Amino acid sequence: MTGEVFAAIDVGSYEMALKVFELSHKNGVRELDYVRHRMDLGSETYATGRISHRHVEEMIRILLDFRQIMKSYGVTHYQAYGTSAVRETRDIEVVRDLIQQRTGIRIDILSNSEQRFLDYKSIALKHGFFKEIIAKPTAIVDIGGGSIQISLFEKDTLVATQNLKTGVLRIHTTMELVHAPRLKYMELVSELVNSQLSVFSKLYLKDNSIDNIIVIDDYVSPLVQRFSKEGKSDGYITTQEYLGFLSQANQVSDIVVAKKLNIPEDNVPLLYVSGVLIKCILDATNASNIWAPGITLCDGIAYEYAERKNFIKSPHDFEQDIVACAQNISKRFMGSKSRRETLQKIALTIFDNTKELHGLGKRDRLLLQIATILHDCGKYISVVYLGDCSYNIIMSTEIIGLSHLERLMVANIVRYNHEEFEYFGSPSRYMEGISREDYLRVAKLTAILRAANGLDRTHKQKFRDVKVKLEDDELVITVDTKADITLEKGLFNNRAAFFEEVFGIRPVIRQKKML
Amino acid sequence: MAKIKEKNKKSADFENPKYYINRELSWLKFNERVLSEAEDSDNPLFEKLKFLSISASNLDEFFMVRVASLKDMINADYKKLDIAGMTATEQLEEVLRHVHDFVDKQYEIYNKELVPALLANGLMICKAEDLIGKDREYVDRYFDEFVYPVLTPMAVDSSRPFPLIRNKTLNIAALLKKKEGKDDVDFATVQVPNVLPRVLEIPGNGGEDSVRKVIFLEDIIQKNISRLFLNYDVITSSPYRVGRNADLSIDEDEAEDLLKEIEKQIKRRQWGQAIRLEVEAGINKKLLKLITDELNVEENEIYNIDGPLDLTFLMKMYKLEGFDHLKEHRYNAPAPVPEFEQDDNIFEVISKGDILMHHPYETFENVVKFVERAAVDPDVLAIKQTLYRVSGNSPIIAALAKAADNGKQVTVLVELKARFDEENNIVWAKMLEKAGCHVIYGLVGLKTHCKITLVVRREDDGIKRYVHLATGNYNDSTAKQYTDVGLFTCAPAFGEDATAVFNMLSGYSEPLGWNKLSLAPLWLKDRIIDLIKREEEHAKNGESARIIAKMNSICHKDVIAELYKASSMGVKIDLIVRGICCLRTGIPGVSENITVRSIVGNYLEHSRIFYFENGGIPEYYASSADWMPRNLERRVEILFPVENEKLREKLWHILSVELADTDKAHVMDENGNYIKVDNKKLDASERVNSQKQFGDEAVRNSKVLSTQNSRVFIPEMKV
Repeated sequence: MTGEVFAAIDVGSYEMALKVFELSHKNGVRELDYVRHRMDLGSETYATGRISHRHVEEMIRILLDFRQIMKSYGVTHYQAYGTSAVRETRDIEVVRDLIQQRTGIRIDILSNSEQRFLDYKSIALKHGFFKEIIAKPTAIVDIGGGSIQISLFEKDTLVATQNLKTGVLRIHTTMELVHAPRLKYMELVSELVNSQLSVFSKLYLKDNSIDNIIVIDDYVSPLVQRFSKEGKSDGYITTQEYLGFLSQANQVSDIVVAKKLNIPEDNVPLLYVSGVLIKCILDATNASNIWAPGITLCDGIAYEYAERKNFIKSPHDFEQDIVACAQNISKRFMGSKSRRETLQKIALTIFDNTKELHGLGKRDRLLLQIATILHDCGKYISVVYLGDCSYNIIMSTEIIGLSHLERLMVANIVRYNHEEFEYFGSPSRYMEGISREDYLRVAKLTAILRAANGLDRTHKQKFRDVKVKLEDDELVITVDTKADITLEKGLFNNRAAFFEEVFGIRPVIRQKKML
Repeated sequence: MAKIKEKNKKSADFENPKYYINRELSWLKFNERVLSEAEDSDNPLFEKLKFLSISASNLDEFFMVRVASLKDMINADYKKLDIAGMTATEQLEEVLRHVHDFVDKQYEIYNKELVPALLANGLMICKAEDLIGKDREYVDRYFDEFVYPVLTPMAVDSSRPFPLIRNKTLNIAALLKKKEGKDDVDFATVQVPNVLPRVLEIPGNGGEDSVRKVIFLEDIIQKNISRLFLNYDVITSSPYRVGRNADLSIDEDEAEDLLKEIEKQIKRRQWGQAIRLEVEAGINKKLLKLITDELNVEENEIYNIDGPLDLTFLMKMYKLEGFDHLKEHRYNAPAPVPEFEQDDNIFEVISKGDILMHHPYETFENVVKFVERAAVDPDVLAIKQTLYRVSGNSPIIAALAKAADNGKQVTVLVELKARFDEENNIVWAKMLEKAGCHVIYGLVGLKTHCKITLVVRREDDGIKRYVHLATGNYNDSTAKQYTDVGLFTCAPAFGEDATAVFNMLSGYSEPLGWNKLSLAPLWLKDRIIDLIKREEEHAKNGESARIIAKMNSICHKDVIAELYKASSMGVKIDLIVRGICCLRTGIPGVSENITVRSIVGNYLEHSRIFYFENGGIPEYYASSADWMPRNLERRVEILFPVENEKLREKLWHILSVELADTDKAHVMDENGNYIKVDNKKLDASERVNSQKQFGDEAVRNSKVLSTQNSRVFIPEMKV
């Protein structure tokens, strides 16, 4: 067999799931097994910030069992992720270590934006239908236990994404707290959801119309998946069909719903919350179709791995989504398009021509690109405290596709573009959680950004064409401009000092004389 | 007119209790059919002994479980009426009345037909008082050397209470009087030891014509009973046997550790309430009163037996050497399965296409081989199997243990709650655990009755799953006696479902959907009802509508009511039900289109096969489940479709031949009685013995194939 057997583990808010996949060049990603264990971790961690001993023991038992199942398929690689419930646990490092000691399985923590990005990636990779659907204005609604993520697409490109703390389990817990009666359930859930949704609508929807909603959830999706229409993917229905289906379920008891839909009775209340949530979003967006592709986080983990290992090729440029997302953030904070484009061009040219100096990879290039896009977003708040304000904006804004660590790195690169660099080991609150290796990456990328920024100090975009070449112990930056660059040249020395400090090479500017 | 007819149909109350037969009474009818084989002139003498023995052991089990349950209901003042509208008290009275008649019939056959026939064939059952000379000496010596040392006589008086008489044991009660003393009478009892054979053959003179003699162990003890009570005169002695409540009902929610709870239950079972007392006819009245008072049994629970108690000894007699000519030889030994004869690699064979086996006509060996091969195949990663009842020295268990030893991931679901097999199951479950298998003990509150094996194998094209699904247990010894069907497949849809079954049995959530399998207690009942309803629709639309369903028992009211409704709509329904059938045939407007037949023959009919005509696009299914509440609601069961055209033809053949059976079939009449098909006027060529025919065909098929595969070419000869 030329392929690989891969396992994805999702330690979620209300269940632990394991999916085993076979990855091969011939067949792509093939699901072999899917086991789910119901465990209400979310209610506990959302309320207490801790995972009780009982739950830790249960997790260990299930993970040991997962290991047996993985063994039964000859799994060679796995990836285990914990999501919001694990993320919101204060003593998570202790718990993770304990679990790893006892089971040999390491649970990594997925930031919300990474998690949503994986979900989104798996739809795009699993279904050819995705490309067709996002040609029209579309919202991806990713419903989790703790929160939901709404991402908007226009003309093939991701334009905005927002996380709202209205996950099914969170709402369900709230409804139980207020002892919501069945008759008023729909009304109360709607009220709760709409209060948060209205902010999102004002910010992003305005007068824009949305045609389709892509739903990712664990309850409504499997049911909508049963619908199939000729020429469309399974799980594609109209809003009218969906609302009819929801109102039918609203009129009968849980047990009847369970029986009729072939689902466990326990799932009915959560199905209901998920159903009402989707209805609220349909109301807010006026979308006319729903598509539930029926994917899970485990699919996302596997597709991402398969793509990374070249088992499958992506029909969609995901990096472009991350970039587009950053551009939208920049736009929201009044960033200058022409300036960020110039800076991006210079910075990436330096990056690409100094590979032997920095030894960084493709992902770092993306981080640099995002840093250039967001390099001045703090200006929106304060020109004086530009570095800190930029840092704070980046850290409080979702950049879909970036991990928490990557976001922290971008925020620091942007900050040190304006502020004095703080060295590893210094008591800086900004670098908290950054390892030595990542600190070095931040330093290198900051050096490049600073150099690039130095070339455009006057913000006049005088350097449209820049060439970079390593010559002996100098990095020669040749600029092709007719403009007077005396100021840039003068100030550049100051910006270039950090580059020299980091790489041991001095950048110098040479102006190509135009005829 | 049509409208009026339609209205009438709607108004019929298909749940009316008078349309149903009580399940206990229906079971007794089944046992009567077994007993009828003991007097069927078509059967050789020793086969008759076997059937009489089976009818007796069946009855023992019936008392321990069903009669006991009725007693429990009465004790608990349980008021709910049964399917036929009877209270527990009414049922018990009716059952006991029938059982008394049944027992009389058993002994009538024993005394009037079998004993004289045995004598005519050179086997004499002797009474102790008939023995003389050397025979007498031999028996006495046997008593001294073997019997006496293992006897534990127990006297009852004011200081020694009445001992606990164990369930189903044979005992001898005696009234004693002290040799020197007052006229006080004491009671004593002694258990007939079950470590010694019940039937002792007295050595003959070796002559060819001499009659072989046997004597019962209880007779030998009774003959020498005075030697057990030396200071007493034995006034009278008589054998007796007690049947006790043995229904094993465990409250699983409360059981901290299922295993331990069952171990406890087994011990407790011995001491259940006495619900049946068998005594020899003519027992001393005072002795009888003493026993009945102590055991607290009612008048109608006492059986006066005209002959030896506990006829299950006849199975031992069946095994006596030298009477082979009086046994059944017309049935073939299991034949090889043609597909597996062509290729040694079982996985390659299954990969070529689904295989349906009909046991015991076709050998069960391949199922054992499947597991054995998987255990040593380097490409096999995992084996998962459900085990309900396995044989004593099971090669499957050995293979599973070996697989674990070879580093395979082995998951075995052991059903500890398999009635009467619990003790056995615990032993080998522990053994499997020791061998490194992952043993799971099923789901709380549900018995895992489905029969499924999954083998996960790594092949060039990726991971491939091989599945075996069956109607019968993974038990290589009963597979020689029970008729069952089993399917081998590697179709991915079955593989995915099989994986989901084991995930569910391991306690994981249900899958989001099933491809091919329907599972009890989830949706199997609904599925069956939907399938019946679909036939109703076809009938309503004037399309072809028919159901043929073969199973062991049918007593689920919802299912029967739906069948009545289907029948009233014009669906033709043929049921082949070996055991309990609570459905009545021939009720105008209700079940005129339903026939019920039961085949009781050389093998125990055990397969569950269902055919739904579906307006000309027939569907075939096989299942581990009968249409009983316990199967559809309280057990994990599987219904699987058979989709390959050739295999469907095979199932059709099984059903149609059984429907045509003239030799071993009994057909239910409108009174709920079973009438044996009258084959007397039929020519030999017109007669059908389905079991024999299947056996012959299996042998023929395997021979055809072995000729096809032969590398020896036979030149055609000039005529």
